[in-house]
Amino acid sequence: MHKVIRQMAQLTLQTPLLATAPATSVAKLLAVPPAITQNVDCCGVHTASTGGLCAKWNKHNYGPRKWLEYNKTVHPPQESQDEEPRKAYVCHMRTNIKYSPDKMWYIAAFVRGMSVDEALKQLNFVLKKGATDVRETILEAQQMAVERHNVEYKSNLWIAESFVGKGRVFKGMRRHARGRFGRVEYKHCHYFLRLEEGEPPQHYYLPEPQTPQQQLEQWLEQMRSRKVISSL
Amino acid sequence: MSRNFIISITNFFNNLERLFLPNFGPPPSLAYLVHQQHSPRTNSSQKLSLKNLLGDGVLWAVPKHRRSVEKRLNRKFGYPEYVWKPLREKKNLRPCQQCGHDHELGVLCPHCYDKVRQETQLMQDKIQSQLGLEPIEQEVIVLYAGETAEQATDAISGKRIIEMKKPRPMWFTKNLLQKSTQQSSETKEVKPSDLA
Repeated sequence: MHKVIRQMAQLTLQTPLLATAPATSVAKLLAVPPAITQNVDCCGVHTASTGGLCAKWNKHNYGPRKWLEYNKTVHPPQESQDEEPRKAYVCHMRTNIKYSPDKMWYIAAFVRGMSVDEALKQLNFVLKKGATDVRETILEAQQMAVERHNVEYKSNLWIAESFVGKGRVFKGMRRHARGRFGRVEYKHCHYFLRLEEGEPPQHYYLPEPQTPQQQLEQWLEQMRSRKVISSL
Repeated sequence: MSRNFIISITNFFNNLERLFLPNFGPPPSLAYLVHQQHSPRTNSSQKLSLKNLLGDGVLWAVPKHRRSVEKRLNRKFGYPEYVWKPLREKKNLRPCQQCGHDHELGVLCPHCYDKVRQETQLMQDKIQSQLGLEPIEQEVIVLYAGETAEQATDAISGKRIIEMKKPRPMWFTKNLLQKSTQQSSETKEVKPSDLA
């Protein structure tokens, strides 16, 4: 994706005609009013709506913004129609969720590689605080994909990337017995999501587990590639 | 509170000195006298800072060795058969036939249950507002908008009638409140065999 961004920047410099293309797409993005307004305020901040760090009284803390830049990339048109059409994707995030990033990691890893419907169904039955935030983020991203990112069917999406980042940490004190004090950390996390169009892959993580046939072939290959060293 | 903290720490240090008396040195009382002589001199020089008071105590509750990656991974993932920390996909989820929301196999659909619970809450609130929280001795009949008591004897026999000012929900049929298994008997005679 980094390559695409660089390519596009070069194109805009070289060809003034295409310079209008990104501007119009960006204008289109801005023109369409956000469907869910709770997390997108005038600054475009995707902060969690509840908690001490919500946008209401924390407008100066924007959190990470690079992830959403990927949504603004304008890909060059594909050369031939024989080429497989580029899969539509949407990047979304929610920042400063009042939840520990280590605990949120379990939910993010759980949801990775699932289809959107399956993820939403399973998250209903995950008894963790972060599950509600993740579920809302997925729903928002799904809506964005259909409205702004040229996705035809909202069910034809799967979770390509889902990860967690460390958010703001406030330190506090708590008292223990015998005049001792302990440190308390009020942790927040950011949740990043990328939905991609299409069927989810059978195996998200590589290397895929091999079938017995594949294992046999590999074993045969190994056996046949053996060499007697220092032979005539 | 900080004063108590300082006092407790200084007491601890005073007690610690006894451990460092090799070959049964001077008795503690003399040691204290010795200590007290020095105290007016050293008090001014000794700053009441945490580092001076605790000394090496700052290093008391501190990791001794770096946690190996195996230990870290064990903590993060647990063990597959016993305590598996990552979440497992639930395969016992089915769509509810009535409302379409998902529910676990063998568990009531939460959406349908919530619907019934809310209606029950409304009925209970109405009953409580009319009859209070006294124990109910006579049967209570709840009627919805546009319904009348089935038998005229109900009002006469003293059954309390509660009228809800809303239409009857579609799913709440009158059959639901009928006693299907045991018929209420009308005779007051009890056979000897039926006692207890």
